[in-house]
Amino acid sequence: MIRITGLCKNMQNTTLLRNVNLELESGKILGIIGPSGNGKTTLLLSLCGLLPFDQGEITVGNKSISARESGINSEALWEFRKKSGIVFQHLHLFPHLTVLGNIIEAPMQVNHKTKTEAEQEATQLLEKLGITQHRNKYPEELSGGEQQRVAILRALAMNPEVLLLDEPTSALDPMRSGDVRNLLRQFAHSGHTVVIVSHSVRFLKGIADYLAFMGKSELIEMNTTEKLMNYPDDPRTKEFLLYSELN
Amino acid sequence: MHALTAFSMPALRWGGDPSGGAPYVYADPANPQSYTGFDYEFAEALAREMKMKAEFVPTDWESIVASLQRKEFDVIIDGFEPTEDRAREVLFSKPYYLFRLQLSVKRTDKLISTLEECKKHGRTVGTLVNCAASRLLDEGGYKSKGYQDPVAAYQDLELGRVDAVLMDVAGEMFYARQNPKLKAVGKPFKSGAYIVGIRKEDSLLLAKVNAAIERLINNGTVERIFRKWQLWDEEQLKLRSQQQPVFEMTNTKLNWSEGLIKLFKAASVTVLLAFGAMMIAVTLGLPLAFGQSNGGPFTRVACTVYIEFFRGTPVLVQLLFLYFGLPVIGITLPGWLTAIVGLGLNYAAYESQIYRTAFKAVPDRQWQVAYSLGMRPFLAFRRIIFPQAFRIALPPMTNDFVALFKDTSTAFAIAVWELATAYRELANATQSYLGIGLVVCCYYLAMSLPLAHYAHKLEQRLQRKSTGILSSGADK
Ligand SMILES: Nc1ncnc2c1ncn2[C@@H]1O[C@H](COP(=O)(O)OP(=O)(O)OP(=O)(O)O)[C@@H](O)[C@H]1O
Ligand SMILES: [Mg+2]
Repeated sequence: MIRITGLCKNMQNTTLLRNVNLELESGKILGIIGPSGNGKTTLLLSLCGLLPFDQGEITVGNKSISARESGINSEALWEFRKKSGIVFQHLHLFPHLTVLGNIIEAPMQVNHKTKTEAEQEATQLLEKLGITQHRNKYPEELSGGEQQRVAILRALAMNPEVLLLDEPTSALDPMRSGDVRNLLRQFAHSGHTVVIVSHSVRFLKGIADYLAFMGKSELIEMNTTEKLMNYPDDPRTKEFLLYSELN
Repeated sequence: MHALTAFSMPALRWGGDPSGGAPYVYADPANPQSYTGFDYEFAEALAREMKMKAEFVPTDWESIVASLQRKEFDVIIDGFEPTEDRAREVLFSKPYYLFRLQLSVKRTDKLISTLEECKKHGRTVGTLVNCAASRLLDEGGYKSKGYQDPVAAYQDLELGRVDAVLMDVAGEMFYARQNPKLKAVGKPFKSGAYIVGIRKEDSLLLAKVNAAIERLINNGTVERIFRKWQLWDEEQLKLRSQQQPVFEMTNTKLNWSEGLIKLFKAASVTVLLAFGAMMIAVTLGLPLAFGQSNGGPFTRVACTVYIEFFRGTPVLVQLLFLYFGLPVIGITLPGWLTAIVGLGLNYAAYESQIYRTAFKAVPDRQWQVAYSLGMRPFLAFRRIIFPQAFRIALPPMTNDFVALFKDTSTAFAIAVWELATAYRELANATQSYLGIGLVVCCYYLAMSLPLAHYAHKLEQRLQRKSTGILSSGADK
């Protein structure tokens, strides 16, 4: 479950987020679309407690943080961060660890799983995305699409209540993004919440329960995927959808 | 023109070491621009007697013979004694003073009153390097420690870093006799002579010097000088008698196998210094780097001051400061430990800068990824940031370690018997700079080459794991 109320974020006299409000129940997948530079990544970073914000409150599951708490290194913030996992737009895999190492590092170090246990779970995940044969390679030896899948698995392995993904399929072919879609759907159906930022409306159409459109620093509208695709309220949403269909 | 020629008497250029050189030749405390000392007065008198003008050339005691050969000056006058090895390189004049050796210990020491007792109780005897006393100790197999100047030797005796000091009576009188914490034990023993040293080919000069010395002895000038310095005794009357006075020629021959063992021991000390210091540097550099980039305002300033202080002042000065300065506030470390700590503190400043650049080179997002996976800062640092930074830091750290190996030679300044000190001592004692020098270089290379090799191997192994931290983190 996610609830964002009155979220504002300024940086160097520019407004990155203006009064963002959003609510999403568990087991659902939300897709966020919108033009480049409008604050989608900024929203995700705030949502997982990695970026301090100036006003408002964010609730993930049973943990909330206020604007004040988001800026100070407190126990509350650390607890809040545990709730969600994120797949970064630019992945940021650990270059000194193998594929397997990237995935089992946090389960072993943070959740104190044994190596065999963590490896077993990782292997299952690797199989689902078809990169088992690369398990002992280092990130730089992987293709962009392979790296993307490793980053997704690294976040999934911690089994977070909420999973945030920033452009998770930009480098994947249709078949591979189908694998990712299945995996995320499965994850959501087991009671987790998923938020996906993507430029690929087609990908979101096939997976998201809801869609939200991000205008400049603002969440313009949010609706079920069906409704937002077919009957957008705002002219800016209409225009954006028109362009993405043309491509 | 005419007036000038009257002043242009030929110069008698004489060499001596004025550092810690009292009462032989030293900077006059009352008038630091000029020098004083009995050798200074003797040299002046000698030159006058030879119708020449004395010109003092300050030099370094250890390499005084080599400097004479290089013609930096024409005669050595510096409490210089005839020894067998020097006889191969230098002509000896008649003696102008007969000296003896005196043993000193702490006033509170009830146990030691002779050299033999030092040996029996395993005590260490300090002395000047490359002099009659040091040779006597070497030959007799006493545990000894060589110093560059008498001040350091007697200070270390006071501080308990050595248990006794053996020195020429002249030095002992000047530096130790007045010190209430020390006492002279036993009678002065073994007689040797101070002579003027002259280059082998200058036999003409030798004849002139000898004639002048004889006149100075017979007309009482020498007596007047040494009486003034309270160094005159009945013994000196032997100088007047017609026949050559008896003095023992100090005997030194380099025994190569013994020399190699000595060098090997010194090399082990060098290894100990380098590894000990590097351990301190590598460990201490970490909090320094952290304090400087992430600490509060006070910590930041403190770390910066530390780093700039140690990088901005010579390591040699730092060692001297630790060795002689710390005892003033009650901290007395032995020389080897001082060297390890001093070099360690110094290199920690450099390591901290290497760490800082290395940590900066790891993208901030790596921290964020770790946090998002539930890692706390310490865990994130240990498992994610440090391994990446280490790979960046390794090559410059290796360079520093090799540099540190060479910097251990500065420990000679605080009388640590490491490889460079051993080289100076052995080479000076035997005048075999080339042969021993080559051996010493081999020792150094034997230590630094494997080091560089293993570091390179390690680098390659880490490199194979991943060539660039940037490949998966190229954005903001
Ligand atoms: N650290 C920062 N300092 C200042 N401005 C920033 C910072 N990070 C992002 N911005 C600005 O905030 C705005 C929103 O950035 P954000 O990364 O959230 O966009 P986005 O919607 O994710 O775009 P894209 O689809 O291209 O990924 C941009 O105009 C960007 O320039
Ligand atoms: Mg973005």
